[in-house]
Amino acid sequence: MWAYVARRLLGLIPVLFGISLLVFGFLRAIPGDPAVVMLGERGTPEQIEALREKLGLNRPLPEQYVIFVGQLLRGDLGRSSFSLLEVRDLLAAKWPATFELAVSAMVVAIIIGVPLGILAAVRKNSIWDNLATSFALVGVSLPVFWLGLMLVYLFAVNLQWLPSGGRLSVEADAFFRPITGFYVLDSLIQRKAVIDVLSHLVLPALTLGTIPLAILTRITRSAMLEVLSQDYVRTARAKGQAERVVIWRHALKNALLPVVTIIGLQFGTLLGGAILTETIFSWPGIGSWIYEGIINRDYPVVQGGVVFVAFVFVLINLLVDLSYALLDPRIQYR
Amino acid sequence: MRRQWLMALALSALASAGLAQKTLVFGHEGEPVNLESGNITDGVSIYAQRQIYDTLVDFKPGSSDPVPALATSWFASPDGKSWTFRLRQGVKFHDGTDFDANAVLFNVNRWWDPKDPTRIQGGANYEIWGELFGGYKGTSGSFLKNVRVVDKYTIRFDFGAPIPYFPVAIGSGYFGIASPAAIKAQGAKYGTPAGGAVGTGPFRFKEWRVGDRLILEKNPNFWKQGLPKADALVMRFIKDPAARLAELKAGSIDLTIQIPPANLGAIEADRNLDPVLRPSFNVGYLALNPAYKPLSDVRVRQAIAMAINKKAIVQAFWSKLGETNGHFTPTAFKTYWSPEVTDYEYNPTKAKQLLAQAGYPNGFDLEFWYMPVSRPYFPTPKEIAEAMGADLSAIGIRVKFQTKDWATYLNDRKVAPGFQAYMLGWTGDYGDPSNFFDPHFASPITDLFDSAGKPLDVKELNALLARGSSSSNQAERIRIYQQADKMVFDLALRIPIVHSQPLNAKRKNVTGWVLSPLGSESLEDVDKSGL
Repeated sequence: MWAYVARRLLGLIPVLFGISLLVFGFLRAIPGDPAVVMLGERGTPEQIEALREKLGLNRPLPEQYVIFVGQLLRGDLGRSSFSLLEVRDLLAAKWPATFELAVSAMVVAIIIGVPLGILAAVRKNSIWDNLATSFALVGVSLPVFWLGLMLVYLFAVNLQWLPSGGRLSVEADAFFRPITGFYVLDSLIQRKAVIDVLSHLVLPALTLGTIPLAILTRITRSAMLEVLSQDYVRTARAKGQAERVVIWRHALKNALLPVVTIIGLQFGTLLGGAILTETIFSWPGIGSWIYEGIINRDYPVVQGGVVFVAFVFVLINLLVDLSYALLDPRIQYR
Repeated sequence: MRRQWLMALALSALASAGLAQKTLVFGHEGEPVNLESGNITDGVSIYAQRQIYDTLVDFKPGSSDPVPALATSWFASPDGKSWTFRLRQGVKFHDGTDFDANAVLFNVNRWWDPKDPTRIQGGANYEIWGELFGGYKGTSGSFLKNVRVVDKYTIRFDFGAPIPYFPVAIGSGYFGIASPAAIKAQGAKYGTPAGGAVGTGPFRFKEWRVGDRLILEKNPNFWKQGLPKADALVMRFIKDPAARLAELKAGSIDLTIQIPPANLGAIEADRNLDPVLRPSFNVGYLALNPAYKPLSDVRVRQAIAMAINKKAIVQAFWSKLGETNGHFTPTAFKTYWSPEVTDYEYNPTKAKQLLAQAGYPNGFDLEFWYMPVSRPYFPTPKEIAEAMGADLSAIGIRVKFQTKDWATYLNDRKVAPGFQAYMLGWTGDYGDPSNFFDPHFASPITDLFDSAGKPLDVKELNALLARGSSSSNQAERIRIYQQADKMVFDLALRIPIVHSQPLNAKRKNVTGWVLSPLGSESLEDVDKSGL
């Protein structure tokens, strides 16, 4: 298996090069100049030209690309054209927020979506099935922006049960110190502000988790329906196995392969950032950061951010592939 | 599990740690790019810097009238070519070092001299100094010829020509005086989350959590006795206005800025909130480019000015948050308004007659560019453009709406022959009319062109503006800018549509927040009850 992992990791190199070329090319293909955006309404042609020179934008494109790849190979993602901060440092600051939110959203999606899908399959054509499939349909159709704002107005503004945005209340600032940037972990380490941190996660996780939840419900349902019609399930039932055992031990384990694939894909997508959810909840993640980088034509931010996200996405896919062997012993990696 | 319960829990923890304090939470519209003064021009960064730094000259709360700050007094030489500033004594930077004339010299050299070794090389170019003062040290256009320390608390600036507006310009939020020791110590890190910023202002830098918040604490040695009123100021970065308003309603922030005008009613209806208006210091205009045939005729441009029902548009989109009056400068510059300017009467019939006189009785096709982004002067550009387009179609002008991504929009309007008609605006930097007229009408005008495709040069107006910006006689300046006001109105190259009052909001328990027309203000006077 290790040889397989090594091969897959080596395969990452051309993938990342391809992505670096694509993101570099697409960014330059978009009209608009970083120097113009930076100087805004007031920039004079002379100032714009001076800034272009300073940012290295007047060099030939191949030279700019070689510089970018050279930096990349040294693990240097460059500096944001706007803030002059190291993209690496910015990523390090924003990545934990994105990771925490993505994990929370997936937890919401898995703990609700998978049981709901199972219930719908087991009680096919019942009221439960109809409710679950309708819920899944509504879940994928709801505009995230609307859902997020509604949750904020209901739970934060009106009921005042939960915070409306951010990762930590200002009150908790006095006794909580970020250590790793993963606030849940940090609060557990310090044994401080745990409830505060968790309460800030609830609404964004619910908002972000709704679509994966709906997708997981539907996938789990259809995978379970297929497995439940298999001969070995009938055999298990014929042998007098309890229905609980048939469903959880025999059927679910075999239905999990497509579910895990979807979990992996969804998780990978969420790790790429969630622009709308981050915007509504002022969540300092990488989605809105990269989006802003595109608007501002902050080339180093977009290039560094996208390459990093692609790297994570490919890595998650690898982990999903590896998990198949755990779920199905017939699968072996050579 | 109510949120108040969580807060009470947190507060009790604070109290038990002896840390209970009055923390003001400000919902900022974004994250500062950098906290290095003089090297950044965006409003978000300037607002944050305003809390950390003082400037030589400040402005009376709620106005653009200069008042002493780090400089206690200033005066011009008889020929108007030099300005001398007497500095406040006994002021210390947050790092404990002394504020004096050498500190001012250090900061000015950093902004003015491209060869200054303490400049951060890379990124922005300290462009605001060059823009406001003609260029940098060693360049022919630089207004400033020399700056020198007269004594420990006196500094003198020598210019090639009189610069009557220098005290107000150097008082703008761009030019906060930073600690030379801190800049030398931090080098390229200065102004970043890792390096922080050190000034003499009401709050001192404590922590900057990237993407999340800037935490400032009270400067216990602030030179204004009894200020700031808050013990700490937390600026949370909340880019989305709807999210800012939701947080304000939920009580997790105390005050916030830049709320879309459409929310005024909702804020007024909320018993916990107060709307707070910033005095207008901007202009949103429609530029008409004479590079194109129909628009090269002043009668056509004036017909367009007459055809747009500006009052109705302002009422519809800004309600009481905007005014339209035909003047290019906002009300803060009323002294400089020409008494002869009363806005073009909304009169489609007369506008049609003017078009017919100009040879276009059946109208013409017009490419009308609207901004793809919201700005305080045009919060909903597309809808406002459509309203103007409807008025223009009533006199036979067939409008074709166009837009581009913001970066391209800003750039392409300056590429000859430019856009035909386009929306844009301006927010002033300092309280002098030259700051509105010069960037838009002094030659060469880089975003309007003549029929040959060259940047427009309105010689008579340019000569007038040159006199205005160099005259040190206030009565003469008033006369000059009143003439400029009339000339700009008659030329109708940029039709002022609105001077808007940006909407801001606060919780009712917040007091003392007086908004400056200049776009940012110190929050030193802001207090909050009901801790």
